[in-house]
Amino acid sequence: MAAVAVHQFAPCITCHAWSPDRSMVAFCPNNSEVHIYKLSEDKWEQAHILQKHDQIVSGIDWSSRANRIVTVSHDRNSYVWNYEGSEWVPTLVILRLNRAALCVQWSPQENKFAVGSGAKTVCICYYEQENNWWVSKLIRKRHNSSVTSVAWHPNNILLATTSTDGKCRVFSTFIKGVDTRDSKAGSSSDSKFGEQILQLDLSFSWAFGVNWSPSGNTLAYVGHSSTIYFVDDVGPSPLAQNVAFRDLPLRDVLFISEKVVIGVGFDCNPMVFAADESGMWSFVRFLGERKTSSTGPKYGSQFSEAFGKLYGQSKHSINNDGIDNSRQRGGVHENCITCIVPLGEAGSSTITRFSTSGLDGKVVIWDLESQQDLLEYL
Amino acid sequence: MMVVTDDFVEADNAEAIISRIEHKSRKTESLLKQSKLVEALKTALEGWPPNTRDERCKSANWIVVHRAIMAMKDLDALFSSLDPEYYNILMKYLYRGLSTGDRPTCDQCLRIHERLTERAGLGCILRSLADTTNTV
Repeated sequence: MAAVAVHQFAPCITCHAWSPDRSMVAFCPNNSEVHIYKLSEDKWEQAHILQKHDQIVSGIDWSSRANRIVTVSHDRNSYVWNYEGSEWVPTLVILRLNRAALCVQWSPQENKFAVGSGAKTVCICYYEQENNWWVSKLIRKRHNSSVTSVAWHPNNILLATTSTDGKCRVFSTFIKGVDTRDSKAGSSSDSKFGEQILQLDLSFSWAFGVNWSPSGNTLAYVGHSSTIYFVDDVGPSPLAQNVAFRDLPLRDVLFISEKVVIGVGFDCNPMVFAADESGMWSFVRFLGERKTSSTGPKYGSQFSEAFGKLYGQSKHSINNDGIDNSRQRGGVHENCITCIVPLGEAGSSTITRFSTSGLDGKVVIWDLESQQDLLEYL
Repeated sequence: MMVVTDDFVEADNAEAIISRIEHKSRKTESLLKQSKLVEALKTALEGWPPNTRDERCKSANWIVVHRAIMAMKDLDALFSSLDPEYYNILMKYLYRGLSTGDRPTCDQCLRIHERLTERAGLGCILRSLADTTNTV
């Protein structure tokens, strides 16, 4: 079994993040709070509740070196939480947004964080020592709709964003005084802050999760049309591949090595994509066990009832309890998976453990140790 | 595959497209007369996207596709020889057929929809619904 631990924390989870030593998990139970649970002797206990936001907390990230938590919310605010004594102390970050904040991520060096918002802007926040506060610089141009996801390139300067206008864009976030200019000529640090390096028009529908490969050479993002897009050699002449798959769309992606990507979404079951020697990406398999009804078609018990009615014949297996409200599609998760977080050492090039959280309120830890066929792809 | 950075562009004017569709219609008719039903459907589905927002062109194209869909009888033969690249575009036309409300059209489209979904999965349906730029 690839799923090594499952825990139901709440009726619904919006997003989650892990502490540096992986003993604590912070998540938003679909309200304005952040709950932190600690694992002690195989039992999860509630350790802290962070209450500062007025509306749903849409993004949480926990930095591994500085042990800081950043949270963003639909209330257009962001807080950076520092652990002092035995309490988490919040510092307000004035993002200068007039719409909800939707996603957040610490940069690899943890000196900046990026926030995507419904105001069609991306905020890059950094710490100003002299004034002892976090400053927000906005990238206002380019986006035509909400920014759904942000992902930092390993070089701490390039940022990829996806938006509901269907496009994925890469920007430079170089900030004088925070970032240092690379001595290599023609590298990304030549660009100024907010400059768009690349715009990818591969999707005709909303784009959601985006992630860079460990080396930063490849980018993957998902579109709502059940397609995942892989872009190699991100730069002046990129190579793009569209992989359309059979099942429901994805919401988030994670590179677990240069050649393997895990996608999670509405099928409630992580999907594995891998690139072969020639660099062609394709769908490998689902990670968890799939619930397949014995006589029905391949799309699971949730739909066979509906399709039976649609096609006017009751030739599909019908449950005895009438309308079956169970959403058992993937087995482990019972509802859409919205968030996938790596559980390896920060910056390592291969990850074999990661966690997912979803609208069913579960956090599931996956380990690929037992998946022999997949380990060969890594 | 190169990335496209331009916005949606009208490639040809409507007249040129309509004459192409008429040519396609004649070809489809002759294939139907020869009972080459799968070939006829492929021909009708080809040449898409037409790169146009002109409703007349879309309707003209729909008439040709509709003709081929209604003539279809053996669905097993259809799916064993139809290339997967046609699945997404066929699904879009099936939904256009279902939206007409005309009983024989809907019956036929539903029959094909069932088989196409089994074949291509729910992703195919998503692709036909989520793409609001290239509509039929």
